[in-house]
Order: sequence, then C-alpha cells, then structure tokens
Amino acid sequence: MLRKEQNDLLTQTGPGNPMGQLFRSYWLPALMADELPENECPPVRVKILSERLLAFRDTDGKYGLIDEFCAHRGVSLWFGRNEEHGLRCPYHGWKYDVTGQCIDVPSEPRESGFCQKIKLKSYPLVKRGPVLWTYMGPPEKQPPLPEWEFATVPAAQSFISKRFQECNWLQAMEGGIDSSHVSFLHRGDLGSDPLFKGAKGNEYNLSDMRPHFEVVEQPGGLYIGARRNAENGNYYWRITPWVMPTFTMIPPRADHPVHGHFWIPIDDENCWAWTYDYHPVRALTQREVQAMRDGAGVHCKYVPGTFRPLAHKDNDYLMDRAAQKAGKTYSGVAGFASQDASLQESMGPVCDRTKENLVSTDNGIIMARHRLLRAAKALVEKGVIPPGVDPEHHKVRSASVVLPPDQAFKDAAKEALTARPGVAQATV
Amino acid sequence: MLSESARMTTAAEARYRIDYPNSKPRAVKVVALDRPSELVVKRLAERPWQAATFFTALKFDRAPPGGENWSMKAWLSDLAGRTKDLVDEVASADLVVMVSSAGTNAQAAAVIAEACSVRKVMTTALIIGSEAKSDEELSKTLASLRPYASMLVIASNDDYIEEMLVALRA
Repeated sequence: MLRKEQNDLLTQTGPGNPMGQLFRSYWLPALMADELPENECPPVRVKILSERLLAFRDTDGKYGLIDEFCAHRGVSLWFGRNEEHGLRCPYHGWKYDVTGQCIDVPSEPRESGFCQKIKLKSYPLVKRGPVLWTYMGPPEKQPPLPEWEFATVPAAQSFISKRFQECNWLQAMEGGIDSSHVSFLHRGDLGSDPLFKGAKGNEYNLSDMRPHFEVVEQPGGLYIGARRNAENGNYYWRITPWVMPTFTMIPPRADHPVHGHFWIPIDDENCWAWTYDYHPVRALTQREVQAMRDGAGVHCKYVPGTFRPLAHKDNDYLMDRAAQKAGKTYSGVAGFASQDASLQESMGPVCDRTKENLVSTDNGIIMARHRLLRAAKALVEKGVIPPGVDPEHHKVRSASVVLPPDQAFKDAAKEALTARPGVAQATV
Repeated sequence: MLSESARMTTAAEARYRIDYPNSKPRAVKVVALDRPSELVVKRLAERPWQAATFFTALKFDRAPPGGENWSMKAWLSDLAGRTKDLVDEVASADLVVMVSSAGTNAQAAAVIAEACSVRKVMTTALIIGSEAKSDEELSKTLASLRPYASMLVIASNDDYIEEMLVALRA
C-alpha cells in the first residue's frame, strides 16, 4: 500500500514533478533508430515525460529532438519539410535546425537577425545500438552515454522493439520485477514459445509454485533473486536486476537470447514498453529474429503500421476463454507481452495503490518504490545524482544458476551478474 | 462501440471502483534477533501501528549448549521485558518479521521459523547494517537465515523496515 501522495509522486513524471526531475537525470530511449532510417526522412512525433516533441534527421544525418510546435503560430512541425539542414514549417516557412534554433524566417529581412531570437526547446538525440537516446535534464548535468550491454554488442547480436501500453509506467515496471507472476500468468507459454522452450529452468519454474525470494540492494538499484528447489538439495535461482528508474533484465533460459525492458512514460496514463533481446557472444539466428518480429518471446504482434499491440483493450485483448479453460493460456490472452499489458492496463490508467494489499513476497516492489522515493527526495532537496545515472551501473546482467543452499547468490553469482564482453550469460 | 475493456479502463470508470476496506488488519509480529536490531525495533515500536507488535529474542543467545535447565518459553519478550510465549504469539500472527544485524548468526531464527512452519505462518527476514560489514560477515547471516525465511531482504537503510510494514498494512 502507498499513501495517495506517495502514489502521486511516483506516478507523475511531467516537468516540475519530483519523479519528472528524477527521470530527467537519465538517458532514456526515445525512438528506435530505424524510425529515422535516412537523412531528410519524415519527422516523427515523440511524446515523452508529458512533453510533445518532434524527432528528425537532417541532411547531414544529425539527429534532433525539438518542441513539436512552431514558435510562430503553434503549428505542428510534423507537417514540416525536412530539407537542406533543417525542418521548415509549411505554414509560413520558418525553419529550424536540430538544436531547435530558428535559421530562417522568410517574411523578415535576413539582415535583421530576427531568426536568431527564436529557438525551440530541444534535447540531444544520440544513436547508441539500435536506439536513439535522449537526455531531458539540465545540460550541465548531462551524464555520459548509456552502457547497457544490449546497446554495445555488435548489431547482429541485438534486437529491439517497443509497444504502446495504455497505463502509467509504474504499474508496468512493477510487473517486470514481480517474479512470482511468471508461474501463473505465463505458465502456458514457457513450454511452447520458441524463445523460451527447452530450458531446464522451465521445469523448475513450473514444479515449484511458491518460490522464496531474496532482495539485495546494488549500487544502481536491486537484485531480486527467486529461488526454487532443484535436485540434491540445491536451489535454482533466477536473478533479476532492476536499475533505476526503469530498466529490468529477465533471467535467461538455456541458450536463448536474453531479454528485458524499459518502461518510459509517455504521459502519466501511457508508457512505452521497450523490449530488447540480445546474445552476449553470438549473432541472433535468422529464426530467432523472425520469431521476435512475429511477436514471440516478450515482443508482440502489432496493429499494422503502428506500435499498438494487435491484442489491445479495444478488442478485449482477443480474449479466448476456450484456450483459458483448456490451459493453453492461463488468463485467456495469448503472448507474454499482451498477458502483462492486459492485466496492467486493467488496473486503470494510474493504479490506485491505496487499495492494494501487498504480501511479503512483494518486497521487491516495496523496495523499488522505497529506492525511487528516496532518490527523488535526495535529488530535489540536495541535488544528489540518483542511482542508475552512472554508466557503470548499466553493466549488469540477469542470471539463472543452480547453487548449493548455503551460498548467497549475490556472492556466488557475482561475476554472472556483471556484463563481461565476450563472455556468455549464466543460464540454466 | 467501445469494447468492455476499453470502457472499463478509463480514468472516468476508475472513479467507480468501490471504496471500502478490502482487508482486515494483519497481525505482524516483529522480532529483533540481536542488540543492534533491538534498537531499531524499539524505535519502530514508538510509531502507531494497526496490528504490529514488537519483540526481542535477545535472551535466546544465553541459552546453554544443549538447553539444560533452560525453558524454551522464557526467551521471547516484549519491549517492556515481559516474557512472551513464542507459540502463542505465532498462533495469532499473519506474518512474522525477523530483524537481524549483518554479522550475527541469528540463532533464534530456526526456532521461530519452526513455530511458524507448524502454524503455516509466513516469515520474512530483514538484515540491517550490511554496509558496515564485510561480505563474509553478511554471507554468514544470510546463510543462517535463508532456510527460515520465505522472503529475505538486505536493506541498506533502517527506514526500509518502517516502509515495508506500512506497505504491508501492519
């Protein structure tokens, strides 16, 4: 349970809010790089942290993320012409470069220098791996670029997707650190999904429905370890890192690619669920990439031409009661992503946490909220840089391991939980 | 026409979620297993709680090896020093939270957990003060608690215990 004021603080990420300030301390995924595939390609609307922006790639290949609206009469620059080193408003021809600087106002004499007095708000937009990242905080506090392993391995080893999720970011993110739901909600897919099946770990998952948990703080956030019984008195551990404010990595299964998420607020009632998949030491196979494109694993099928999942609230998530009854799916909704989204969206646009009844196995969620609240307070009151900003905090991995009962996962799996170039993931 | 899911997930519809207490207060028994934990638990106990009660198991460490002339009933006490019967306390608990300091061996955890196991009461263990201790010392405490807690948390900040109890509606 959270008090209303705590819930409001954690869920409101617009400008001027404490959590908005916290989010503006980080490099955040803004677009997939292939949304701006070539120089002078069409601009793309981007709404992030309740700010309406426009992304474009100019004649020289430079990326820009600027206020969506022309400073003249407030027209959306999405209608703009991307030409000759800038984006020109089609209404009266005002033109802006990637920094938001106005570089031409045709109605004014060039010599007047009027255009120098016009500048749209802009944020840096940088390609790193398959993602275009932005930083929306004070320029003097801009941190070094992110070092997430999926974004630093060779391109052939990584795949990214994003989907529109119609609820607040926090309830979506909390699903990502709630390991105990896997044995219920996703149980129908563990044995059949091409990006999950065949792992020994699946057997442990399905045979022990009451995992024990250990929550350990780490510099960037948390490690949440779920242990289940394995053979000979050993424990099967699935260890999920959460790096503030919104990065998680799902523990691997067999030699399948490793995947995880970012949940980035669009506004307070919608978010982007970003999903990455990568393999630390090998290229993804054609079959794996095709499966991801087809919506397998934690990706999803889309309404054509959009990032909206094919199963969405307007079609009742393609609910299939027969499949639910037959045990093919646990909730009647197909696919990991839509299973999560359907339930998280059902909580309402912003979950009312004053009504919830958490139990002790929810300590991962309780601790994550605690860390977020503490970090937001320290940032707002004392200017303390929050955990997860330092790129060293990005060099984490999830792991699935079998350990003797007396060993702490945080020690025994210390190396496995650290991103090491050229070294495979620890997986069962 | 909007689907049922689309209609029911709007902010407007969220207003109609029935407003009533959907749970009864849970009896949470918080037990300090060592002296530093006792200080934290005493501080916690000063706050108003719905149904949390606080204990100390410090006397357990004075048990003679083998348990000769020593009553299993005489080591759990409330914070005023009154002896409490573990079995009785567990019988009326929904959750038992054990608080231990990093570097200690949390001996009483086994007995508390045994009583909880008989009554099917969930156990949570919190380890505090880990930042001032070596990894080895912390691991020792972890290993001693792991078999006896379905949830084990290493908290770098003592405030976390209060946050957790509030979150659990204690």
